[in-house]
Amino acid sequence: APGRAQLFSTVVDTFLEKLVTAGSYQRFANCYRCFYKLQPQLTRSIYDQFISQLQASIKEEIEEVKNEGNLEELFNSLDKIVEEAKDREEPAWRPSGIPEQDVRSALVPYLRKHRAHLRRALRHKEERNGRVAESVLMGRDSIAELQQLIQARQQAWQ
Amino acid sequence: MSGPAASGNAGEPCETGPPLAARPPQSPTAMSVDPMAYETQFFGFTPQTCMLRIYIAFQDYLFETMLVVEGVMLKKLDDIPGCKISSSQIRKCTEKFLLFMKEHFDKLFAKMEEVLLQLVLNIPKHVLLPEDRVQEQYPCSKEEFQALQDELQQLRQQYRAEVALEQALLVELEEQKIVKAELEKTLQCFDELDNICREHGAGNFKESFAFLTQSCKKLQDVLKDVEEKSKKVKQHDQLM
Repeated sequence: APGRAQLFSTVVDTFLEKLVTAGSYQRFANCYRCFYKLQPQLTRSIYDQFISQLQASIKEEIEEVKNEGNLEELFNSLDKIVEEAKDREEPAWRPSGIPEQDVRSALVPYLRKHRAHLRRALRHKEERNGRVAESVLMGRDSIAELQQLIQARQQAWQ
Repeated sequence: MSGPAASGNAGEPCETGPPLAARPPQSPTAMSVDPMAYETQFFGFTPQTCMLRIYIAFQDYLFETMLVVEGVMLKKLDDIPGCKISSSQIRKCTEKFLLFMKEHFDKLFAKMEEVLLQLVLNIPKHVLLPEDRVQEQYPCSKEEFQALQDELQQLRQQYRAEVALEQALLVELEEQKIVKAELEKTLQCFDELDNICREHGAGNFKESFAFLTQSCKKLQDVLKDVEEKSKKVKQHDQLM
């Protein structure tokens, strides 16, 4: 099957072809009969120039549109995307028109990552705090011990 | 100059509607307008706008070129002496040819536009653009999303609490260090006293010191007794 770029060119060429066919020399000469009678050869040459100028302008416009919109690349890219989706049948997702709704799915992977990161950080903090709490408790014990020793000495000196 | 306004079946000459691009605006119900929003998202322009731009450009070129033709003919006529053809005659010819061309132009353009909008500038219904893959990978209802955000909020709060706890623990740890140092200093004082006693062989200096402290106390008590008794004696003497 022809790609979009190819189809685009073909369709434009067909349009031009048929237009030129419709605007035939016979038709032209028929409309400008008075002039044709006077200057048949000139009529022909004017007509030829008219046709070639029209074709050139139209083709140039198409080129401009293609370049401005980067159409060649976009057409090829779209062809690829459509090709990759060829096994699908169901209608695909389309924007709902409600940004708040559509943005949810885009945010979910980031939020999940954020959640994993927070869970990890929380776990580390909790573990560390557990260890520090143990040191604190041990410290309280040794202070109590020291206090007892001092009291004992005090007693001894009474 | 505008194209024929009739809407109708394609393929019948003179009854084909003008291209979509050239039709005057109609009420929304009269014409089902597909906004082609998804295509616009991909291409960066609306397909219909693109077609309109091309239509207008082509039409302009047609008119321009015809004017040039007419101009050339008029000039040539000026060069011919005794010419019987008037410029208004030429203008009529131009109009005739242009009308004919415009009719075919509109018909042919309408066909071209149809093909382009349906086959080239379109995205089939079953196709999802790569940039929207997340929509199918992570479908998420409002409730699920809210739950996720709530969970994050809770985690953040818990984390903050743990940080506060960490601060408090570290502060106490520092305080403990200071207190411990003081207590150890005190203990060291006692140890030094013991060492002094031992060095000077005062035997059980502690016991003697303790005995001394007790004796002092006893003396103080006796002194108090004596004072009281002497006070009583003095009082008794005064009364006598």
